Amino acid sequence: MVCADHGAYLLNLTLKEVAQDGEKLAQVIQYCHELYRYDMVLVFSDPYVEAQAMGCPVELEPYPTLLGPAARHSYDRTPEIIHAAKILKMKLDVPVFVSVKGPFTLASFLAGIENYLKIILKRENEASRFMETAMQYQLQYLERLLSLGVNIMIGDPLASSSVISPQMFLKYAFKALQTLVDKTKTHGALVAIHICGDVRPISEYLDKLGADILSIEDIELRTETLKMGGVGTSTILNGDPNRIKSEVDTALENKNVILSTTCDVPPHTPPENIKTMLRIASEYGNIER
Amino acid sequence: MFDSIKQAVIEMDDEKTKESVSIALKEKVDPVEILEKGLIAGMQEVADLFARKEYYVPEVLLCSEAFYAGFDKIKQLIKGSSRKPGAKIVFGVVEGDIHDIGKNIVKVMLEAAGYEVIDLGRDVPVLEFVKAVEREKPDILAISSLMTTTMTHMGEIILELEKRNMRNAVKVIIGGAPVNEEFAASVKADGYSPDGPSAVKLIEKIVSG
Ligand code: B12
Repeated sequence: MVCADHGAYLLNLTLKEVAQDGEKLAQVIQYCHELYRYDMVLVFSDPYVEAQAMGCPVELEPYPTLLGPAARHSYDRTPEIIHAAKILKMKLDVPVFVSVKGPFTLASFLAGIENYLKIILKRENEASRFMETAMQYQLQYLERLLSLGVNIMIGDPLASSSVISPQMFLKYAFKALQTLVDKTKTHGALVAIHICGDVRPISEYLDKLGADILSIEDIELRTETLKMGGVGTSTILNGDPNRIKSEVDTALENKNVILSTTCDVPPHTPPENIKTMLRIASEYGNIER
Repeated sequence: MFDSIKQAVIEMDDEKTKESVSIALKEKVDPVEILEKGLIAGMQEVADLFARKEYYVPEVLLCSEAFYAGFDKIKQLIKGSSRKPGAKIVFGVVEGDIHDIGKNIVKVMLEAAGYEVIDLGRDVPVLEFVKAVEREKPDILAISSLMTTTMTHMGEIILELEKRNMRNAVKVIIGGAPVNEEFAASVKADGYSPDGPSAVKLIEKIVSG
């Protein structure tokens, strides 16, 4: 369901065009939705929207890349994201989610990723200040999004246990995520948390957040929260029906799972592969597609 | 003595590492021994802690800073010594891929194990790898990719080396989350390893023939 890059590829648009133009972003997301008919859409172009609005230099060609920590100039693409969200909310009859970055990941972008990973251990005051700046921004961004009546997906890749320890997760990322989750829920919107890589060491904390959905790679991990995922990005790219089937089966053996690819659908994925995944899933009856 | 250097590295304390190295130097300890029994031994322990998931990326980055802080103090002294330089490694992340945390972790561990690493950075085009092999004449070319969409470049780099009759001059090892033994064999790489600590062992094995 994370489909903007793939949609851009199918429609022959560049990632830059899609990342800086809300209308085109909505167009590719709607296109994918009509092609595959899944049950929710996500407004997401790249991970750097907020960081760029806060002054990080970002290059959009040939694909979006963060060039460094926050400097003076900012380029604000949030109005485009909001524009896309509005269009999709109007046109589609499935829940629309909008991606926001987890404050820990955003703080890392602002400070420079490796620099930030060091200062969380060594210079805690400075690290906390970056967290506060990120948090303040995200609270107002969230406010703007929630007023549209959309749902929220918080992506926090750098808070993954592939990168930081569960202790650091608890110390920095957890409370910030909790605040965003609570705020979203008070507005009556759905909230999903997306963290790739290893989350086993923090699964208990993730459950505690009380989000509606956890989008994670390890679909067999025991959680109380509804999980989303199941089919790996390399599986969907290669398209071997047997492998797709075995991953779909594993995912759907668990009761509380929404089937999805684990992360962005790789741009060049043949549409057939996605249809194969959906067809296999549909054999399970009235399960989320 | 060596233990306090080792501990300082493990405790991510660059000041204490420098201090301990200075004390050792004052007591006329052989700089090569300071390096091997103190600093490198410390980083080996760090690699173990990382492999056991007691240390994560931030801890390893800080330990490596402490390591380099100590190493800077003895670098010059070691140059003229009997210590043989380790193998030379050219290392980069393939084009289209900006994930470089893993590469940086592996690099730190290789350098701490005494290898010379030429870092090409991330998002490196196929031909840049080939040119770097030509220019640097490394013993080993190490390639990282974190995405299924970009890992195919690894095969392209190896083919390009073959085309230019350079394939036999260098051993190629690859790694990154989506890479595995099977993929490594399919692109005819000489080796694969799943993480930093095992990459060090892999290279030891390759270098010793
Ligand atoms: C952190 C992260 C990011 C950070 C990267 C910061 C940075 N400067 O590196 C940010 C947020 C910027 C990011 C961006 C993106 N990411 Co990302 N990211 C991750 C995440 C969560 C962890 C990666 C990491 O740093 N791990 C920690 C390090 C220490 O581990 P490692 O890299 O695996 O390295 C170890 C081993 O693999 C090995 N190793 C690595 N290289 C080598 C080389 C050799 C020679 C050897 C021997 C060993 C070796 O040793 C290392 C140390 O032990 C992974 C999830 C995952 N499952 O890995 C996704 C992941 C890699 N990202 C993914 C994606 C899709 C993206 C984006 C495209 C998202 C988007 N739509 O914009 C962009 C990428 C843009 C681009 N073109 O590259 C996908 C890739 C999917 C695919 N197609 O295969 C992943 C797998 C998530 C997922 N589940 O789908 N990401």
